[in-house]
Amino acid sequence: MNQIKFLEPTTFSEASTLLAERGDDAKVIAGGVSVTLMLQQKLISPSILVSLGEIVNGDFIRLESDGLHIGALAKLHDLERSQIVREFCPALAHTFSVVGNVRVRNQATLGGNLSAADYAADPPSMLMALDARVQVQGAEKKREIPLDEFFLGFYTTALESTEILTEVIIPKPARAAYFKYTSISAEGRPCVAVGVAADFDSDLCKDLRIAVGAAVETPQRIESAEAMARGQTLTDELVAAIANEYSLTLDPLTDVRGSAWYRREMIRVFVQRALEEVRNDR
Amino acid sequence: MILNVNGSRHEVKAEARMLLDILREDLNLVGTKEGCGVGMCGACTVLVDGKPFSSCHLLAEQVTGKEITTIEGLSRDGNLHPVQQAFLDKGAFQCAYCTPGFVLTTIALLNENPSPSDNEIREYLSGNLCRCGSYQNILQAVKAASEMI
Ligand SMILES: Cc1cc2nc3c(=O)[nH]c(=O)nc-3n(C[C@H](O)[C@H](O)[C@H](O)COP(=O)(O)OP(=O)(O)OC[C@H]3O[C@@H](n4cnc5c(N)ncnc54)[C@H](O)[C@@H]3O)c2cc1C
Ligand code: FES
Ligand code: FES
Repeated sequence: MNQIKFLEPTTFSEASTLLAERGDDAKVIAGGVSVTLMLQQKLISPSILVSLGEIVNGDFIRLESDGLHIGALAKLHDLERSQIVREFCPALAHTFSVVGNVRVRNQATLGGNLSAADYAADPPSMLMALDARVQVQGAEKKREIPLDEFFLGFYTTALESTEILTEVIIPKPARAAYFKYTSISAEGRPCVAVGVAADFDSDLCKDLRIAVGAAVETPQRIESAEAMARGQTLTDELVAAIANEYSLTLDPLTDVRGSAWYRREMIRVFVQRALEEVRNDR
Repeated sequence: MILNVNGSRHEVKAEARMLLDILREDLNLVGTKEGCGVGMCGACTVLVDGKPFSSCHLLAEQVTGKEITTIEGLSRDGNLHPVQQAFLDKGAFQCAYCTPGFVLTTIALLNENPSPSDNEIREYLSGNLCRCGSYQNILQAVKAASEMI
């Protein structure tokens, strides 16, 4: 891995312009947790690393009228401890706190976590359930992508090769819950990840979003199953029926953390627990 | 490229190498160990501006201008750092391969949270693995250190 140039632009648009100029030779590095491991394993061999580490004000955490705005360079460990994030949505702060270990969270950025599009991740499922969207800076223009349309497949996102994720915007949820199920070790990557956001009118569920990740290629919602809750009381039977829909409809994958069969069962268990948590949290 | 390690400035050749390799091979600071090489074991932990990082997946270029602390940088005038002393007093190791990482992570924990509960200690240290299974003594050492500091 010799002769790699390390460039440090100070704005996102400068970074995007560098990507446009250098084409396939250039690779973005944010926290670098994934990029360094890819370099060591020789999965990538860029001649230029475009580091986002010196971008000015890229790591803000700010409450606005339309929700929480988080700069792409915010570190997961800072997000997990942020008073603003904790008050805005405790389940979101919790999600950041269960990623890997404290060293990973000190280095990993939120933008890097989402852009890596690793299926065995935590923030993507919670943020999709929260109906988050991302701001993206291209060489020429900016655009916004709903997280629902962001993850396209294994390690693949809707970002174009010159685009950089700059900001994540999260509308305020009424209630939310996140469940990470690990099957090998407590601090490991998720076998199943379940994020839920819900709104209630006394006992009646007005709105429900459930995203399941880590067990499937990209985090997924099943709108027909979510719709079963609308206008209804979340009885134990209804919770079980929705969990069953997720379990039967999703097509889980097999890897070291569990077989497809096992994951199907665990999806049922953890969708149910997450729904019980939002129902009982008042 | 200049790295600030344990209070001294070092001129190093970086070329997109991992900090772990530079510390061990160029600066002969071999207290920082390599275990897994992929971020999971904590043997390679160093502090960067006081926070724990895995030096096995950190490029030297990413930490220029920052203050890096390795296990060699902790003692003062021949006296061990209180966390080192607590690990020694409680016999919190067998082979000690994991100890530099545990000591540095404990220092960072106590900086963030001077009197952590047992659960908070377990959680913070969960990414540091001890192949010899000295966990109970490590827990005692961290508690002893938190009382000393
Ligand atoms: C031991 C270990 C355990 C882990 N456990 C977990 C876990 O439990 N849960 C979990 O969710 N994750 C886990 N991870 C993965 C980790 O969270 C990610 O590697 C990390 O979040 C990536 O963020 P980064 O800032 O380091 O990204 P980088 O490594 O810098 O980049 C990742 C990818 O995204 C691109 N990129 C980065 N930033 C941007 C941007 N702003 N715009 C466009 N492209 C960009 C890069 O080019 C690269 O392709 C673990 C990793 C390790 C090593
Ligand atoms: S060697 Fe770096 S974490 Fe194991
Ligand atoms: S004392 Fe041997 S690995 Fe911890």
